[in-house]
Amino acid sequence: MECEFERSRERLDDDTFVSELVKKYGKDRSMLIPMLQEVMLRYHYLPRDILETLSEKIEVPIAEIINVATFYHQFRLEPVGRYIVSICFGTACYLLGSAIVYEAMRDAMGLKGDKHTTDDLAITIEPARCFGCCSLAPVAMVTSADGKERYVHGKLTPSEGRKLVRKYRAQALKEM
Amino acid sequence: MSLKIDEKTRKIIYGPKGFRIRIPIASCSLAAGVNSVRDAVVNAIESLGVEAEIYRVGCMGQCFIDPWIEIAKEGLPPAIYGNVDPNNASKIKEIIQNYVNGDLSEAMAVRFKVDGVKSPQELTELDPWKYQVRFVSRNCGLIDPESIEDYIATGGYSGLKRALEMKREEVIEEIKRSKLRGRGGAGFPTWLKWNLCYQQKSDVKYVICNGDEGDPGAFMNRLLSESDPHRVVEGLIIAGYAVGATNGVIFVRAEKPLMAERLAKAVQQAREKGFLGKNILGTDFNFDIVTYRSAGAFVCGEETALIAAIEGRSRSRQRPPYPAVKGLWGKPTILNNVETLAHVATIFQFGVEEFLKYGTERTGGTKMFCVTGSVKRTGVYEVPIGTTIRRLIYDLAGGAKEGKNIKAVQAGGPSGGCIPVELFDVQLDFETLQQYGAIMGSGGLVVIDDSMCMVDVAHFFTGFTLAESCGKCLPCRVGVKLLNQILGKIKEGEGKIEDLETLQEIGESIMKTSLCALGGTAPNPVISTLKYFKHEYLEHIERKHCPAKVCQKLVTYVINPGICNGCGTCLRSCPAGAIEGKPRDAHKIIAEKCLRCGQCMIVCPAGAVGKV
Amino acid sequence: MVKVIVNGVEVEVPSNATVLDAAEKAGFKIPTLCHLEGIFDEATCRICVVDIGGRLFPSCRYPVSEGLKVTTESDAIRKYRRDLINLLFATHKIKCWSCVRKGGACTLLSLAKDYGVEAPVVCSECMFFGIDCLVAKGQPCLGPLTIAGCDAECTKNGMPCIGCRGPITSAEVWKSAIEFYDDKVKKDELLSKIKLFWNKYMDMISRYVEVKR
Repeated sequence: MECEFERSRERLDDDTFVSELVKKYGKDRSMLIPMLQEVMLRYHYLPRDILETLSEKIEVPIAEIINVATFYHQFRLEPVGRYIVSICFGTACYLLGSAIVYEAMRDAMGLKGDKHTTDDLAITIEPARCFGCCSLAPVAMVTSADGKERYVHGKLTPSEGRKLVRKYRAQALKEM
Repeated sequence: MSLKIDEKTRKIIYGPKGFRIRIPIASCSLAAGVNSVRDAVVNAIESLGVEAEIYRVGCMGQCFIDPWIEIAKEGLPPAIYGNVDPNNASKIKEIIQNYVNGDLSEAMAVRFKVDGVKSPQELTELDPWKYQVRFVSRNCGLIDPESIEDYIATGGYSGLKRALEMKREEVIEEIKRSKLRGRGGAGFPTWLKWNLCYQQKSDVKYVICNGDEGDPGAFMNRLLSESDPHRVVEGLIIAGYAVGATNGVIFVRAEKPLMAERLAKAVQQAREKGFLGKNILGTDFNFDIVTYRSAGAFVCGEETALIAAIEGRSRSRQRPPYPAVKGLWGKPTILNNVETLAHVATIFQFGVEEFLKYGTERTGGTKMFCVTGSVKRTGVYEVPIGTTIRRLIYDLAGGAKEGKNIKAVQAGGPSGGCIPVELFDVQLDFETLQQYGAIMGSGGLVVIDDSMCMVDVAHFFTGFTLAESCGKCLPCRVGVKLLNQILGKIKEGEGKIEDLETLQEIGESIMKTSLCALGGTAPNPVISTLKYFKHEYLEHIERKHCPAKVCQKLVTYVINPGICNGCGTCLRSCPAGAIEGKPRDAHKIIAEKCLRCGQCMIVCPAGAVGKV
Repeated sequence: MVKVIVNGVEVEVPSNATVLDAAEKAGFKIPTLCHLEGIFDEATCRICVVDIGGRLFPSCRYPVSEGLKVTTESDAIRKYRRDLINLLFATHKIKCWSCVRKGGACTLLSLAKDYGVEAPVVCSECMFFGIDCLVAKGQPCLGPLTIAGCDAECTKNGMPCIGCRGPITSAEVWKSAIEFYDDKVKKDELLSKIKLFWNKYMDMISRYVEVKR
C-alpha cells in the first residue's frame, strides 16, 4: 500500500515537473536539448511517459524527441544504477586494453548480452568516448547517478577493474 | 625556449606569502589521485608549522609526472616533484621538510636556479621541455585558472585592449599577417573565415568557440581550458570584435565537465571585470558569451552539426551556404577551435612577430600535440609547426616503452591516418601530413607499437565512425558499415584477397561523396594502413595469422603453468569445455576444442592466460 | 539571372536556382533519388553529385553563381554513382517480386540498369540481414509513413528511423500516404503512428481518417 501511495505521488509530481519545464523554456523546439538535460538531472534517464507528456505539451512529435535523445550520448532511455562506471574506448585506452578491462568488469558484475545495469540498480557499466585523460590509459570514470560525485581511475588492469566495480557496488548497496 | 622570469611572474610563483605550493587540479591529475596529495600537503604544512599557501593550478601537460607538486619558497628555487605517491603522506611531509631545509635532491627540476642553492637542472633543460615552445600554453600549470587577477598579471586581456584600439579590418589584417590557421583540423586560414563573416551585412552575428573536442587521443583543448580558460575567452571576444558579432557561444562537450565549469567561471569573471557586456573597455562594442554544454556526439565537432546541436536538432547539413554566411539561427557565424582562439589572444598580447618566429612558410606559430599510446612520456607538447614526428616522439616523449618497438603513429584520430616509422622525418604541418594520407586533425598522436595490430586499428576506427555517423547521407551511413564489416571479416580470418580492393574502392567513394567532413575523412585510417601495412592485411588473409596477436580468432590461448593456481574459474566458464585440470593444479587448454572466444583470459583472476 | 556553364554549355537561370535546375535547362540529365522538388532537399542520397572546381557536390542543393563551371558526367563521377547504387542495394531489404513498385516504376532498378550495376537478389544476400526491427523493440519507426516508404535500413542502428527523406511534412502527402496504407494498418495503429511523428496536425488528420472510415 505504501508503495502504491508513493507512486501516485510521484506521478503527480511528474506532471507538475513537466509543466514547470515547459513554463521555464516555453513551447520552443530549439530548447529541446536543455529540457531533456533537466529531465536527466531529475530522473537520471529519460522515462518514456515523461517524454510522452513533454511531446504533447510542446507539440513536438515523440519520434523527434527520441531521435534527439538517441543521437546524443548524454541521454539514456533505460534506468541507471547508483554509480555509473564508464570505461573509455578512446584510441589510447583501446590500444592499451580497455576492452579486456571492460569485459572483466562486466563479468565481475554478472552482466550479459545487452545488459549494462545490475538488477539491483547498484551499478551501470558502459563503454564511453574519450575523457581526455589518454595519458593514464586505460581510464574509467565513475559518476554517481545524480552527477554530483565524480571519480577517475587510471592505468587499470582487469583485476583492478574487478576490484573497482565490487567496491562501488558495495558502496552503492550501503547507500541505497 | 627559456622562460623569461620577470618580476610579475616571480610574484605569481612565490605568492604574496612568499611560500606557495602548487597543486594541479585538472581532470588528468585528479585521475592520478591529486586529491589525496593535496590532503597530505595540507596535513604536512600544518604539522610542520610552515606558513605555506596551497595554490591551485592547471596542468603543465607533462602527464607522465602526474601527480606532481611544485614548492616555491622565497630564497629557494621553485622545485617540481614528479610522481608523488598519493598514498604516502609521510613521504610528502618529508619532501616538504627537506625542501624547507634547502635539500632539493628529490626534485625532478626547478623552474629557475637561485645562487648558492644546490638544485637539480632547470625545467627548460629537461628533454621533454627542451624543444618545446610554450607560446599558447605558457600559463598552464603556472597560474590559478579560476583567478582573473592572475591572468591579468601575466599580460591577460592586454591583447583585447590592443585589438579594441584597432579598426576591425586591421584586426583581421593582423591575423592574416600572422598566417594563423585553424588548429581544429582542416587548417583553414582563420582570417579568411573572419573576413567572409565580417563582410556579411546582418544585425546579429555569432562567434562560436568549438570546444567539442571529440577525437580520442586529443586533449589539448581540455588542458588549455582547464589551465588557462581566460585566454580562450579573450580570444573569443577579439574574434567577436573583428567580425562585428554581438553574441558568443562556448560549446563544450558533456564528457569534460571540469572544462565546462572553468570556462563558465571565466566568462562570469570577465563580465564582472567589464570585458564582456555593454561598451566594453569604454568602446561602443557590445558583446556577451553564453556557455553551452553539448549533450555529446562526435559529429558535433563538425561546424554545421555543432550549430544544429545548439538549435536543438541533430545532424550536419550540406555546405554551401557556409556558416560564415548563414549559420546559427540563419545568421553569419564563425566557429573557431579553442586552441585557435587562445592563439588569437596570445598574438594580440605579444605581437605577430613573436608568433611568426615559429612555423613554416604557409602556417605560422606553434601547435600543441598530444602524444599518447606506447611512449615513455605521454603528455601535451607545444612545438613549432613543421617539427618532425621523430623529434616529438623520440626526443620529447622519450620513444617506445620498455621492450617495445614503435611501428607507426596514428595522427588525427578517427579522421586521420597512420604514418609508419620509416616516415618519421616528415614535418608536422597541414600539407605534409595530408600528402602522406594522415591529417593534423586537432593534433592527437597515438603511438602504435608492434604489440598492436594495424587491421585491428583500422577496424577500431571504422567502428568508431560507424557509431558516430549521424546517418544522414548514404555513403557514410552504409559505406562505413561495409568497411567495418569487411575489416571484421579479415580479423576473423575469413577475408579474401579481393576484399582489399573493395576496401580501397568504397573508401574512395565515401571520401568523395559524403555530406560532411566526418564521412569525408572516415576511410583515412583504412586507406593509410592499406598503403603502409599491406603486409599485415595479407598475413591475416593468406596465412590466417595475426602478427601482433591481437585478433582473437587468429591466436592460440595458453595457460602459463607457473602463474595458474588451479582455481578452476576458467574451466567453469569455458563454453566449449576445452579446459582441463585438477583443482589447485595448473590447468591446460585443449587447442582442438578451443573456440578462441577469450573468455578464459577475461575471467582468470590470476592473469595466467596468455596468447601465442 | 546568372550565367552558368554546364559541360561547356552556357545557360541563364534565376539566381535562386540550383545546379540541378541549370543542368536540366542545358539539356543534361542528372539522376536523382532523394530529391523531391519543394518537399525534400537535404541531399542525403548523393546520387546527383557533380564536379565543381575539382570537388564533388550534390547538384540538387548547390546554389548557382555567376560563371559557375559544372561537369555533370565523367568516368570518375559514373564510378562514384555506381558505388552509391551498390551501397543502396546493400541496404535494400525488399525482394523485387514482393515490392509495390514492381513493373518498371522503380527508379532504383532503372538507375542500376543505366549504370551497369547488377541488381543482386536482395534480402538473402543482404549484408544487413538480421538487424532488429525497431518496432519490435518498442521504439518508434516511421516505417510506412515516410515519403520513401520502403523498408530501407534505419538510418542509425537503434535510432528511430525518420526515413531517407524524413517524415512527411505536407498534409497532402500525408493524406495520400494514409490512403495508401489504409487497408494494411488498423485505424488505431495508424493514429498512434501519426501521433508519434506528427502530433501537431493530429486533430486534422484524425478528422480526415474519421471521415474516410
